Amino acid sequence: MKRTVRTAAALLGAAAIALGTTACQAPAAEEADGPLTVWIMGDSGTNFETLVADSGIDVDVVAVPWDAIDEKLTTAVASGSGPDILQIGLSKLRTFADAGALLALDDLLADYPGLAPENYPEGVAGLSTAVGGEIVSVPWVSDTRVLFTRTDILAEAGFDAPPSTWDEVREYAKVLAARGNGNYGYYIPQWDAPLPIQMTWSEGGEVIDADGNVDFDTPEFEKAVDIYTGLYSDGSVPTNSDFDQTQGFISGIAPMLVSGPYLGKGIADAAPELDGKWQASPFPAGDGGSIALFAGSNLGVWHNSDQVETSLELLEYLAQPETQLKWFELTGELPTVNAALEDSELNSDPNVQVYTQQLATAKVLPLVSNWDGAVGTELLNALNSIVLQGADRQSALDALFSATEGLSIN
Amino acid sequence: MRNRLVPYLFVSPAMILLLAFGILPIGVAAVISTTNMNISAFASWSNVDFVGLDNYATLFADKDFWQALGNTGFFAVIGVPSIVVVSLVVALLLNRGQGRFFRALRSFYFIPAITAIVAVALVWGYLYNTQFGLFNYLLSLVGVEPVQWLSDPWLSKFSVALVAIWRGTGLNIIIFLAALQGVPKEYLEAASLDGAGGLRQTWSITIPLLRFAIFFVSVTTTISWLQFFDEPFVLTDGGPLGATTSASIFLYKEGFRLNQFGYASAGSIVLFAIIAIITIVQLRLRRADDEY
Repeated sequence: MKRTVRTAAALLGAAAIALGTTACQAPAAEEADGPLTVWIMGDSGTNFETLVADSGIDVDVVAVPWDAIDEKLTTAVASGSGPDILQIGLSKLRTFADAGALLALDDLLADYPGLAPENYPEGVAGLSTAVGGEIVSVPWVSDTRVLFTRTDILAEAGFDAPPSTWDEVREYAKVLAARGNGNYGYYIPQWDAPLPIQMTWSEGGEVIDADGNVDFDTPEFEKAVDIYTGLYSDGSVPTNSDFDQTQGFISGIAPMLVSGPYLGKGIADAAPELDGKWQASPFPAGDGGSIALFAGSNLGVWHNSDQVETSLELLEYLAQPETQLKWFELTGELPTVNAALEDSELNSDPNVQVYTQQLATAKVLPLVSNWDGAVGTELLNALNSIVLQGADRQSALDALFSATEGLSIN
Repeated sequence: MRNRLVPYLFVSPAMILLLAFGILPIGVAAVISTTNMNISAFASWSNVDFVGLDNYATLFADKDFWQALGNTGFFAVIGVPSIVVVSLVVALLLNRGQGRFFRALRSFYFIPAITAIVAVALVWGYLYNTQFGLFNYLLSLVGVEPVQWLSDPWLSKFSVALVAIWRGTGLNIIIFLAALQGVPKEYLEAASLDGAGGLRQTWSITIPLLRFAIFFVSVTTTISWLQFFDEPFVLTDGGPLGATTSASIFLYKEGFRLNQFGYASAGSIVLFAIIAIITIVQLRLRRADDEY
């Protein structure tokens, strides 16, 4: 009897504590003081500090490595203590929003003209990157994929211009790989999940069907697989997973590859002596044109930030064309604001002109929850098992179809 | 009456810690493993549903999970005997002298065990690198084609295991050295009077007397290989194509990359059961011969 009473008392106590905590969370917090915590992806933390030094807002920058973001997000959401502002790679946006990590901005943006959807390219503006009908982020940097080629090495092999279609890429790569001596013609990063998707788009296909479901069982995707596996079966591509793409390009071992503007920046920094011996050109075309990835990142406000207004002020500052252009100077990451993308000085560099033109037709990856983890990994596993381990093509693809079945953007 | 409570009082701090950090998490994982909990649970608890044993059914039908279990078994079969034998042999050799040179060697062998795994991985990653690695450079001097240490599905298993063996021996050498201090000199003297040589003494006296240390090292090493995580995580991230994905890495990826907490919990319960069963079997086998 006594024990029952004690248990009941303990339960009541626990319930009271639970109620107490809920009650504490309810009232809207006053705007707090102190520096804003901002999560910036990659190794650009110091650059970001330089960028916001003139904003008049006190900012505490935390640099988060790209491959640690999932773990970091999970712990931050679970513990309830996140930053005020965070950078979100577009492929992660849906996952972040599903976790309830992001504040819905629909009603808040009206006061900030710099953040209005019409300032941004259509592919990422406003509702195009909304999740569940709510705008949870604003565009920050854009990123796309173009073809990088070592023009000097191509010229030696008798090609005076970079290949413009995937058929030409295969043809050129074969000739370049025939140089022998450990040289290759082209490089496919084994972790590059968007590449086959872009090939599919460029063949005129989609990876999402009319109902919004992930669908790889299309003739266009088959053609993309032909290109992907063909480059390997031609012997044009290195098969080791620790191949260094920047070094491979600079040393000329792999003189052609598809990558983003950051590679251009990396080459210019690491090997200034190569200036004029390499160039960026549009993503190789298929039957459907040259359609590359609109990658980039958005910025969002953490769902329980106690400095929402200051955060939005900082976002407004970051959306100014001058700030965006300064960021490009610091890091080589492209702006997302139209006014900055059209800047004549920015476009005076022929490579940057290639990037901005590619962005005009670029497409965002489907906003499927956990795209990278689920679809991206399965896609790479299927294709790489064919090219690296000689798995049967049809059964590898069937495994991919069934693994991604039922995933949808809805 | 009161005296009977005293022992409980003394064990209670340890018991509370064990309950809070050992038993409770397993219980929580067991409960979560019967739900479909994923990251959307943090947005609202109403997104969590009870699914019974569905996670376990999916798990046993998941070929990636079987691959991870197979890899773990492979790693354990390679790793446990290697570590036990290598550290025992090194400890026996180190025990032959007490001079400054031997003391320096002892710390030398212990260095891998206390070096941060990320630094270790960085250095080994460079050694193994296909294009610029030292190993391939040395091979190229004798005219051997570059070897894909971490990219070939079979070779990468051995490459990763080698780093773990290299790292795991240090601590066990210390344990064996400590146990060697407990081998009575009289036995060895008596044996040498009887005309037994060094090898014979080691084989018939020292090693049997080290039986408990060998047992201890085998059990702890087995457990650590069944939980194998660090080396493949930092060297290959479980690749190429899952060839070095251990059970722990599989669980980590499901739980923290794919945010399938329910599914990952089910896997962790299965792994826990496997480790528990293997350890119990080892303890039972030992009980049969603890007299000598």
